[in-house]
Amino acid sequence: MKMPTAHRIALLFNANKIYDREIISGIAAYLRSTRVQWDLFLEEDFRCRLPGIERWQGDGIIADFDDPAVCEALSRSTVPVVAVGGSYENEADYPPHIPYVATDNFKLVKLAYDHLIESGLQRFACFSLPEAAVNRWAQERENAYAGLMRRDKLQVEIFRGQTTSAPSWNEAVEQQINWLHHLPKPIGIIAVSDARARLLLQACMIAGIAVPEQVALIGIDNDPLARMLTRVPLSSVMQGAEEMGRTAAHLLHQMLGGMRLSGTRILVPPAGINVLESSRHESLSDPYVMQARHFIRQYACQGIKTGQVIDYVGISRSALESHFRQELEHSIHDEILHVKLHAAKTMLERESRTIADIAISCGFTSIQYMHAVFKRELSCTPGEYRERTLLGRMQH
Amino acid sequence: MKISNNPDTGHTSSYTRRYTLRNAQGMEVVVSEQGATLISWLGPDRYGHLADVLLGYADDTAYRQNPAYFGAVVGRWANRIAGGRFSLDGVEYRLDQNDGPNQLHGGANGFHQAHWHTTTVTAQEVRLNYLSVAGEGGFPGNLQVQVCYRLEDDGSLYIEYEARTDAATPINLTSHAYFNLNGGHTDVGDHLLSIDADNYLRVDEHLIPQGITSVSGTAFDFRLPAPIGARLVWPDPQLALAHGFDHCYCLQKPTATDSPQLRDVASVYDPGSGRALSVATTATGLQFYSGNWLEGIQGRSHDPSAELPPTTYSAHAGFCLEAQSWPNQINATDGSAEAVVLRPGAVYRQTTVYRLTVRE
Repeated sequence: MKMPTAHRIALLFNANKIYDREIISGIAAYLRSTRVQWDLFLEEDFRCRLPGIERWQGDGIIADFDDPAVCEALSRSTVPVVAVGGSYENEADYPPHIPYVATDNFKLVKLAYDHLIESGLQRFACFSLPEAAVNRWAQERENAYAGLMRRDKLQVEIFRGQTTSAPSWNEAVEQQINWLHHLPKPIGIIAVSDARARLLLQACMIAGIAVPEQVALIGIDNDPLARMLTRVPLSSVMQGAEEMGRTAAHLLHQMLGGMRLSGTRILVPPAGINVLESSRHESLSDPYVMQARHFIRQYACQGIKTGQVIDYVGISRSALESHFRQELEHSIHDEILHVKLHAAKTMLERESRTIADIAISCGFTSIQYMHAVFKRELSCTPGEYRERTLLGRMQH
Repeated sequence: MKISNNPDTGHTSSYTRRYTLRNAQGMEVVVSEQGATLISWLGPDRYGHLADVLLGYADDTAYRQNPAYFGAVVGRWANRIAGGRFSLDGVEYRLDQNDGPNQLHGGANGFHQAHWHTTTVTAQEVRLNYLSVAGEGGFPGNLQVQVCYRLEDDGSLYIEYEARTDAATPINLTSHAYFNLNGGHTDVGDHLLSIDADNYLRVDEHLIPQGITSVSGTAFDFRLPAPIGARLVWPDPQLALAHGFDHCYCLQKPTATDSPQLRDVASVYDPGSGRALSVATTATGLQFYSGNWLEGIQGRSHDPSAELPPTTYSAHAGFCLEAQSWPNQINATDGSAEAVVLRPGAVYRQTTVYRLTVRE
């Protein structure tokens, strides 16, 4: 029996990246489900294939169109091509005539943003990438973020930083830390990819910025490697990459059967969201408590008292106290004390200032009072606390 | 158990009661005697916010006619009977036609418009009864139907159907609940659907099944989770015919003697809210309807706490997963028609479980 000739299909993807790998695995899943026989050509470095690709003796191509070199090389292709890449806000940015399967950049960012809002954050920033032809997707995500900020009348805070090339590593981290310091806190940051999120998380750790308390962070890709390399597990939006692969394979399959799909465009929404520690900002449902906490977080160390919090929120003392009891099971006074205690602990851990100095900086009326609070809450004196953490650090 | 009266939705001169079921998680399911209808289902998202996951009318009086079949139990024959006719024991029956030449969902005055009578009521369970008299919609036999809704603490809503007749009749009952797991902020295009079925029934222009077709290599393949909206735009003549999905998936081949077993057949996940819905059933078919004709219907506000104005639904504002026998099975020529005939002395039973959970 003569076997039907299998179509020869080239897959032009960077198989080192999780996103590209998932697309390829989606293509494979489609082929398995249909028993369609394709001979797949997948190069370790597909870019060396590009010159002269129009003379390639194959039957069809599925390619990553995020790379402008690929768009250019395939613009004259005589075999059916299906493009895979990021979505564009501007129609003119899509390659003309070629069927295109896109990850919906707007929806990826919106899912991250909605999650940060639900986690109780009220300010948002975006950590992007320097503008480059190979990462137009990053600019699209940045624009999606900026559009959402404008819609909701919020401040736009975008930082592109540097690309991650080794010689400028120190400088790049310094710039990230400067940016992080200048941002109002707490803040939710959307990184345009997990690779970017990982860098920023590292910068937060170096600078002693608490994640997720001060900076709640979420990336895009759900890359297991990025998760593994971070001390605080990284939240991330999952792209529908496997579905993109299945869709691209289906379109090419139809084209090989003679269907004309010029101009077909299918946008694939996110496949989910992996919520981990980096964005588990404590969400409070009570707006009065949220407002009060917001005020306390900012001014506890200036020695504020319960009365000032009540004035700020603008409801009666008994009402606000009962909101606190219900939501947090403690009083307004306890909340102020906790914030001061937390600040004092952080300073003792990281700064060499005297304990008296720290007591004043954290809004305690006297060193004796801070001493008493430490004994009651932590069963040790501030001095002992400092020794303990120093010792702990040396052992690591 | 809260019982509220809705004087303006009565089928007859009497009022229609609504019952609220509650579980330990704080979920609330409201059921109406009008059409044994699921009115609303409040469930938490991953942040703990409650929202209604069902579509419903802004105006309660719209349930009297319920043209979209929102939440109703549909019968005596859910889905279509080709040409509005069938033969049983050598007699040909002509049914009321309300869908071009076909009969759809029991005819113009199907179960969805009936006033059901409540028997048992507890905090988590309500049983509703209806007597469908011989000749109603064109069907033979007086049919006594009971539907039981039971909300369990794990988020499962059991729907158990039971029926007895005094003359042989076709029967096929299902729940026509429309879900939107994001609480109605947007349509269901980004919901990820999985259906554990290798085949579906392709249809003609009247949406009458024409044969079993493999889902492989088509937009209908939901054996792995896929977004509904992105699948709606795949080039596919079957999608064009129905203006979207309105097709029955073959859960198992019907035989003359079905031995019903409850098994998981489908699930839906909304990434935004984290809500997930799973479907288990004893039925042999699962109609997936992507809400193709919802455009323009005045829907209820989905925020249970706020006094928000009603919303105007768009196409695909909700989806249905209706567990049932195969459409037009009563006219099947392969011997499976007998499986959907209820005879005196026998009991019709069908169980479907919708389970609402949160996935992190």
